[in-house]
Amino acid sequence: MRALIFALALLPLPALAQSPVVTQAVEAHILPRMETLAATGTALANAAQADCHPTAPDLRAAFHAATDAWIAVSHLRFGPTEDQNRGFALAFWPDTRGLTPRNLTALIDAQDPAGRDPAAYAEVSIAARGFYALEFLLYDPEITATGNAAYRCALVQTVSGDIAATTAAIADDWQTRYAALLLTAGQNDLYRSEDEALRTLFSALSTGLEFTADTRLGRPLGSFDRPRPTRAEMRRAGRSLRNVALSLGSLQDLALILADDNTVLHDQLNAAFAATIARANTLDDPTFAGTADPQTRIRIEALQQRIADIRNLVAQDLGPSLGVAAGFNSMDGD
Amino acid sequence: MVTRRGLLAGLLATGILPRLSWADAGNPAFLSAARRADGAHILAGISPTGDILFRLPLPGRGHAGAAHPTLPQALAFARRPGTFALVLNCVTGEQTARLDAPEGRHFYGHGAFSSDGSRLYTTENDYDAARGVIGIWDVAAGYRRIGEWDSHGIGPHELLRLPGSDTLVIANGGIETHPDSGRAKLNIPTMQPSLVYLSPEGALIDQLTLPPELHQNSIRHIAARADGTVAFAMQWQGSNTAHPPLLGLHRTGQPPQLLTAQDPDHRSLQGYAGSTAFSTDGTRVAITSPRGGLIQQFDTDGTFLSSLTAPDICGLGPGPDGFTATSGTGALYATQALTLMQQATHPLAWDNHLTPIPA
Repeated sequence: MRALIFALALLPLPALAQSPVVTQAVEAHILPRMETLAATGTALANAAQADCHPTAPDLRAAFHAATDAWIAVSHLRFGPTEDQNRGFALAFWPDTRGLTPRNLTALIDAQDPAGRDPAAYAEVSIAARGFYALEFLLYDPEITATGNAAYRCALVQTVSGDIAATTAAIADDWQTRYAALLLTAGQNDLYRSEDEALRTLFSALSTGLEFTADTRLGRPLGSFDRPRPTRAEMRRAGRSLRNVALSLGSLQDLALILADDNTVLHDQLNAAFAATIARANTLDDPTFAGTADPQTRIRIEALQQRIADIRNLVAQDLGPSLGVAAGFNSMDGD
Repeated sequence: MVTRRGLLAGLLATGILPRLSWADAGNPAFLSAARRADGAHILAGISPTGDILFRLPLPGRGHAGAAHPTLPQALAFARRPGTFALVLNCVTGEQTARLDAPEGRHFYGHGAFSSDGSRLYTTENDYDAARGVIGIWDVAAGYRRIGEWDSHGIGPHELLRLPGSDTLVIANGGIETHPDSGRAKLNIPTMQPSLVYLSPEGALIDQLTLPPELHQNSIRHIAARADGTVAFAMQWQGSNTAHPPLLGLHRTGQPPQLLTAQDPDHRSLQGYAGSTAFSTDGTRVAITSPRGGLIQQFDTDGTFLSSLTAPDICGLGPGPDGFTATSGTGALYATQALTLMQQATHPLAWDNHLTPIPA
């Protein structure tokens, strides 16, 4: 935070954005979460250095804490997470072709020197980096038993170190560069009006809801005739439902900031998110294994439908309330 | 008054079948899908002056159309990931056939006819295999499916027949989607778009991929000039702080030429080009960006000519003095030299694309 204050102090006062919504989103939603992401990333690397065994309780706890922090920012896919593909270097998912286990197995089988060197690791396949690769290294029965144990240990430390470097780079980029771009929208080349900054935040909310409904829930649901429970996100670590609930909590926070002083909409959104998160918390199916069981499936589909209702509320009411109403073609994206 | 169209409809009802042509449908210049003010969807025939010649009901949101080269038959594709397309008789308004995507496939919303009109080609997603497919349909047999080719990429979107030949050019957008996940993009870190040319027998003639730093630039829409030059429009999936070119020109066997306006005009496209077209005389090429609310024109030598604003503009085709364009606000535009004139406005939201009718 100190770095940001320093950066802002360099800007002439009139350059600061007038919009309390953008300021609130940056200062209360984005920056604290990015700070947590970097702090938990560093703690993860330290835990791996202290004990690299995949079942080490401290390491697993650090993995969960850092992954929680990532999920809470996983909808903020613009700027620092997209530059240099940092977001994908933390989160290569969905992995429709099984590239993560394939690349990890190849590294372990070959005892590739890059697996012992965090700096060199930034150059390996993006599928072998980040939280989803680490999940395999800590929880997958095959990967945790393949090849040489000492090499696997080094690889756990390297992947964790690479995560720490990437999360630190994202947080630093937000603090020293990107926050100021949003806060001075209308006076820089990237955001040439406050509307553009608002549109970016609105789009992060919409696409975040879409990702949670269509990908985090949609992939394991598959179709009624062909449910796909093995496609659930981070099922090996038992995090599939937790990721859904955490992402909804973070999206709720952003949505309420964007609702601003529209109290009716604020209350509607708050109620819709609260009911949806409550439904997720009572699901009692942490890995969506129940997508193949009709009784559980109907409850997972109901959760997905609740998110669809929030998406409608966001598109039809929040967008116009923010002045970023969707065009017939501009929001179609095809 | 007995109109020719009414007379024809009467004759059709009696079972006497004269050979209909596009003239019988009023000589439309374009087809376009649209949403009416009441929320219903239609396919419309548009005259060269911007009048609506016919309105045919659609069961849901359309995307693009395809026009038979001689018969007044229009293909109306459902919006991605739709699994059906309708064949509409533009004189009588009847639906004469329905195409259903094979099991495990959906349409992408674009199609093209062979030069003799005997075959229709469609872009399709073989989604469990994440493989792009070109479906082949026999027109005379009531649009029976007779085969398919590999599109040599993921996510084939628009396809065209090169003028005066039966070579097909396909924009493989590179983005993997699966109907289980709606329209969510599943492979952005590894996507690889391409422009592919197929012979009339389906053999790979040429394949263009862009340099690695542009692998997240989805090649979606194309236009072709009489000499075989292809314009391709792109949609950037990478960082919002990068501003790569969104328009290119290509001829088989040659390197592409990428076209970019100066900033701030280029950045105003918001990383998204929705349609591309050549001017009627072939000397200019244009792209539209509904996100930026812009149409940009270039000389085909690469010189940037103009950037003009129009909210939610997307549909684009040739026009009497350059280009015709449509918008989600219902406007029909014509370029005149380097300016944009509103030709007409209708109580409709024009959908993404204008499909030119063969003259």
